Amino acid sequence: MSLFTPEFGLAFWMLVVFLLLFGILAKFAWPSIMRSMDERAAYIDKGVEYARDAEAEREKAKADVQALLAEARQQQMEVLQQTERLKREIIAKAQETATEEAKRISEAAQVAVEQARREAELQLRRQVASLSLQIAEKVMRKELSSDKAQAEIVEKLLDELEHKD
Amino acid sequence: MKRIKYILMLSALVVGITMVPGVVVGQEVEGEDVKEEAEAFNPKETIFEHLSDEYWWTIAGKAVLPLPVIVRDNEGSWHVFCSSRLRNGQSYEGFHISHSGAYERKIVGVDANGQEYRPLDFSITKTAAGIIISAVVTLLLVFSLARYYRRRGMKAPRRGMGFLEMIVEMIYKEVVVSVLGKDARRFAPYLLTVFFFIFISNMIGLITVFPGGINVTGNLSITLVLALCTFVVVNISGNREYWKEIFWPDVPVALKCPLPLLPLIELFGVFTKPMALMIRLFANMLGGHLIMLVLLCMIFLFSAMGAWATGVSSVFAVVFAVFMNLIHVLIAFIQAFVFTLLSTIFIGLARPAHETQGKRE
Repeated sequence: MSLFTPEFGLAFWMLVVFLLLFGILAKFAWPSIMRSMDERAAYIDKGVEYARDAEAEREKAKADVQALLAEARQQQMEVLQQTERLKREIIAKAQETATEEAKRISEAAQVAVEQARREAELQLRRQVASLSLQIAEKVMRKELSSDKAQAEIVEKLLDELEHKD
Repeated sequence: MKRIKYILMLSALVVGITMVPGVVVGQEVEGEDVKEEAEAFNPKETIFEHLSDEYWWTIAGKAVLPLPVIVRDNEGSWHVFCSSRLRNGQSYEGFHISHSGAYERKIVGVDANGQEYRPLDFSITKTAAGIIISAVVTLLLVFSLARYYRRRGMKAPRRGMGFLEMIVEMIYKEVVVSVLGKDARRFAPYLLTVFFFIFISNMIGLITVFPGGINVTGNLSITLVLALCTFVVVNISGNREYWKEIFWPDVPVALKCPLPLLPLIELFGVFTKPMALMIRLFANMLGGHLIMLVLLCMIFLFSAMGAWATGVSSVFAVVFAVFMNLIHVLIAFIQAFVFTLLSTIFIGLARPAHETQGKRE
């Protein structure tokens, strides 16, 4: 059957056309297509790698920031605590100083009052003494007009002194 | 909106694929009937006429595109003329188309003794025209992709170009690179050309309207040349290891020394591999076309049994034809892929690496 016998003329044209097609494509088309595809594949691979690196970098940076933040917070806490302590100390110290001062002032005041009181007492005593001397002088001037009375008084005073001793 | 356009295009394509063969066959059969005085419908004749080569291209009905005839007679002189001069059994410059015998449907000359002889026939037949169309379409597609890369560089192609690139990528990366490794760049142009030529020929063969529908890859001459090219590439690129494996394989000496039993088998294998390639592609593509034609001829066979039989058989034939055509789209791709894959593997087998060979043994 003619269907199953190869035809020489047709095979010849097929060979010519196919070799031409192959020659043209192999020279001008396939190399550039394959190169472009390989280049693009390489480019994409590089891009993916770059992206992965960037991602890792970002993760690292994020962790760094987190760590830094934590550290800063820690420091802040410490500083705050320190400040608190310092504040309390200052207040306590101030209170102490104030108490002492108050005590000192009140003591000084007490001393002054005491002194004043003593002075006043002394003055009063002196006045009382002079007043009593004046009174005694007046009384004596009147009473000791007679010798008898004088003797009597002397006697009495002497007794008193004697008793006292 | 875009989707609607695609659906319309797709349905137009399906209708084009399925309806036109019926119309063409119908018209042609009608034409033949008129021509040959209402001769009974001969399915074998019709089918073989469609499958085998012709000197003109029937577009539809009586619209026929004549093709150039280039023949060399037995005296050594060349004759170039238009095939329309040979229509309807006419004779021109001593040549006519044989209707029976060994040279059925071929141009024959008549020698001095009145005997028919076959001249050296370099006519651009329908199939030859089909080859050229396939080659041109392949060129256009591949160059459009190459131009795309030159223009856009790194940008990935979309739509049609993306589809094309996907196929190139599949053949190049999945087949050629994975089988041949570092030799891929050297053999990929040949393998890609083979794949695209076969695939595009197969697909054009499925389009039944005018510039398509030629049974290119279902013609033994074409697959013979393709297989021959693979044979040449395989055996030229074969390294020392490959030839040693053929003529002095690693088997007991008794099997190869006095009587070269295994070398003979190996040598036989060298020729059977491309033969298998040739027959596989040819048979698959011929079978696809044959099934379509048989299904559609059924309509005309059943038409003798009345209107009902014609109607029912038309519906069934068209439904099955659509189904077979869809399967044939798959086969068109698979056969091109298998041809390329096997060619790649044969090339790979012809270049065994020294290191791996050493390790394996």
